[in-house]
Amino acid sequence: MPSWAEFQPYIVTGLALGGLYALSGVGLVVLYRATGVLNLAFGAVGAMGAFIAYSIIKAGNPGWVGWITCILFAGVVTLGYGMLFGPALAGRGPLVQSISTLGLALVLFGAIDLAWPTSGGQSPSISFPTDNGGFTVGQLQVTWTQVIALGLGIVITVGTGAFLRYSKLGTAMRAMANDRVITATLGVPIRRVEAAAWLGCGLLSGIAGIMLADLSALDDTTLVFTVVISSLAAALIGRLRSISVTFVAALVIGLVHDLITPITQIANYQDMTPFVLATIALLVMPRGQVMTRTREEG
Amino acid sequence: MNRSVHWRTRTAAAAVAALSLGVLAACSSSSSSSGSAPASSSAPGASSAAATASNSAASGTVSTSSCGTKPGVAATGTPINIGAINTKQPGTDFSDIENMTGAYFACVNANGGINGHPIKYFPVTEQTSPPQIASLAKQLVTTDHVVGIMGNSSIIECSVDAAYWKSVGIEVLGAGIDPECYSTPNTASVNMGPRYSSDGAVQYVMAQGASKIAFDQSNVPGTAYIAAGPNALAKAKGVPIQDFTENVPITSANAIATKLVTAAGPSGAVVLNFTPPEALLILQAAQKLNLENRVKYWACSTPCNTDFLATSLGPKWNNKLFVNAELLPLDGNTSQTAQLFDAILKQYGTNVSGGVGSFSEMGFTIGEIATHALESVTGPYTVASVSAALKSVSNYNTGMLCQGYTYGNYSLHIPNNMDYTVTPDNGKFVQASTGGGCTLISADDPQIAAYRAAAGTAPAVG
Repeated sequence: MPSWAEFQPYIVTGLALGGLYALSGVGLVVLYRATGVLNLAFGAVGAMGAFIAYSIIKAGNPGWVGWITCILFAGVVTLGYGMLFGPALAGRGPLVQSISTLGLALVLFGAIDLAWPTSGGQSPSISFPTDNGGFTVGQLQVTWTQVIALGLGIVITVGTGAFLRYSKLGTAMRAMANDRVITATLGVPIRRVEAAAWLGCGLLSGIAGIMLADLSALDDTTLVFTVVISSLAAALIGRLRSISVTFVAALVIGLVHDLITPITQIANYQDMTPFVLATIALLVMPRGQVMTRTREEG
Repeated sequence: MNRSVHWRTRTAAAAVAALSLGVLAACSSSSSSSGSAPASSSAPGASSAAATASNSAASGTVSTSSCGTKPGVAATGTPINIGAINTKQPGTDFSDIENMTGAYFACVNANGGINGHPIKYFPVTEQTSPPQIASLAKQLVTTDHVVGIMGNSSIIECSVDAAYWKSVGIEVLGAGIDPECYSTPNTASVNMGPRYSSDGAVQYVMAQGASKIAFDQSNVPGTAYIAAGPNALAKAKGVPIQDFTENVPITSANAIATKLVTAAGPSGAVVLNFTPPEALLILQAAQKLNLENRVKYWACSTPCNTDFLATSLGPKWNNKLFVNAELLPLDGNTSQTAQLFDAILKQYGTNVSGGVGSFSEMGFTIGEIATHALESVTGPYTVASVSAALKSVSNYNTGMLCQGYTYGNYSLHIPNNMDYTVTPDNGKFVQASTGGGCTLISADDPQIAAYRAAAGTAPAVG
């Protein structure tokens, strides 16, 4: 078993990844609460945005042009999907609505593979200026990108919580989560509220995509599937309602995943982390307790 | 009632989410690249016009017209059907090898072909599924009627198909990976493969004084076989070595880089055996975390020998990273072979997406040897005549390998067992100034010792 000192570096890398899983998980939860749709295309949209950003930067444009394009692309595609298919699927069950987003994910996955083939090992990558700066804590090297990743997770979680609680649009989203029909009857413009939720979810997927392309890898499989699996597990632990539980769960998933790295006996099983933690949480956490907490929060 | 409905909805949503996790995980682990190569990439005669038009456009003094015996004249005889199987899946893609072999064949076809016969190439790709690979082999033989398999490179193809190739009498020329590519009588490779290339990387850093080795590779079938070589070399020299494996695609490169640096220590070396994208992830993570100087050396098996990797890493890695190069270092090389490689890549290698690199060099070398063997056939092109021609290849100077290439009639084949070492030099890979020339892989690896006992030690030619 490695010593405590050997575990320390993985706290930094794990928290940075966890922050981005949290950001992604919050995006999934907000959209689900507003529309009832579990957006399985979250990772794919962000991935495609990141690849577009890579091409823009490679063509000689400033980095910020690529980053903003990635976020806007993800926002527009997600909004477009929501506006096009959302109303048509609104009356269907959660299974149909969610699987339809998986369709979008697979289409984008194929498109990425077609547009940015990996043959021969050409390896696209994205880096931020903040990769080369940072500070040292004892023996630990912390980059500003890692700090930003964790900070974004915290800011997005707190900001989204405040938005849902205090803004008119947030209140409408919460109302729709409780009962879409009654909310519509009360005069809430549900299409507009749903559009805002789709757009917000898309923008978050763009942020997560570009950040993870730097911190993890600009790799379609990683961004499309691995990221969304971890985020989805966190959202599932939050029962698709609680953004604070989702945030904590995401951090724990990121931490545990990376802390397993130096334990050579089980390191190759670290990708099971989101499954194991989600299963344990769902089995152990009392349902009533979770519901009470989410009601209070919502 | 409402509460009950909400519970049902939430339960359904949770079920969907759980189901989705499973579905996504399945997609993640088994998704395959959709871009399989066309069944026939070089239709006979199709490239003649292009060849005539651009033969003069080749770089340097050697042009693509030197591919064949009749410059600018497209081959029009009966096609010689040749097949190849390459792995192409997320995180592991060797298809540049068959693509470059296909480019070489296209060049040959446009310049007289093989004794007037064009080569009709059937490159296919697989996703490490044994039934799929076995099926592809049978398809090539029974449907496409290939008379030779030239250009194979796959994680598990040799182990899956070795018995089949033997049963139909086909001798395979490829770029090997799994043990059977080197330890069976019907397959010989132009490369050293991951084990012997890792041997080369490990023996280089040990020669430079590394006191401990952290050896890391993809968690794919055959890792124990690969690790056995570097472990034997390290043990013989009394250098401690620690083995690691990583699931690919890598999702947490920062953590892996940290782990490897910690394991190697300040006077040790990290040795990587990954495909270029995965190796680059680890090296870039080390660079971001300022870990590159926390060990004495970084080293890599052959796949890292790709210019884009040197470009992506930048000058911090000059004389810090050492890459085993199983084939001729091409940067700045003006040999006729290097010029012909460049010319073919430019004119016919549009689908060789990695450009100049180990994979394309392997594909080129396979093309050279295959052409040399096929040209020696005097009668009809059959499985028997092509296999016999391959086995007759002896001490053939490819211009790409340190040694002359011998296929021979042995129970095991490791014909390439002498290598270069290269290091980044401001965006290019150049031969390392210290100990980077042709060096025999140590016979401390028992497999190398067994091969040399059977076939002898081919002298250096380049």
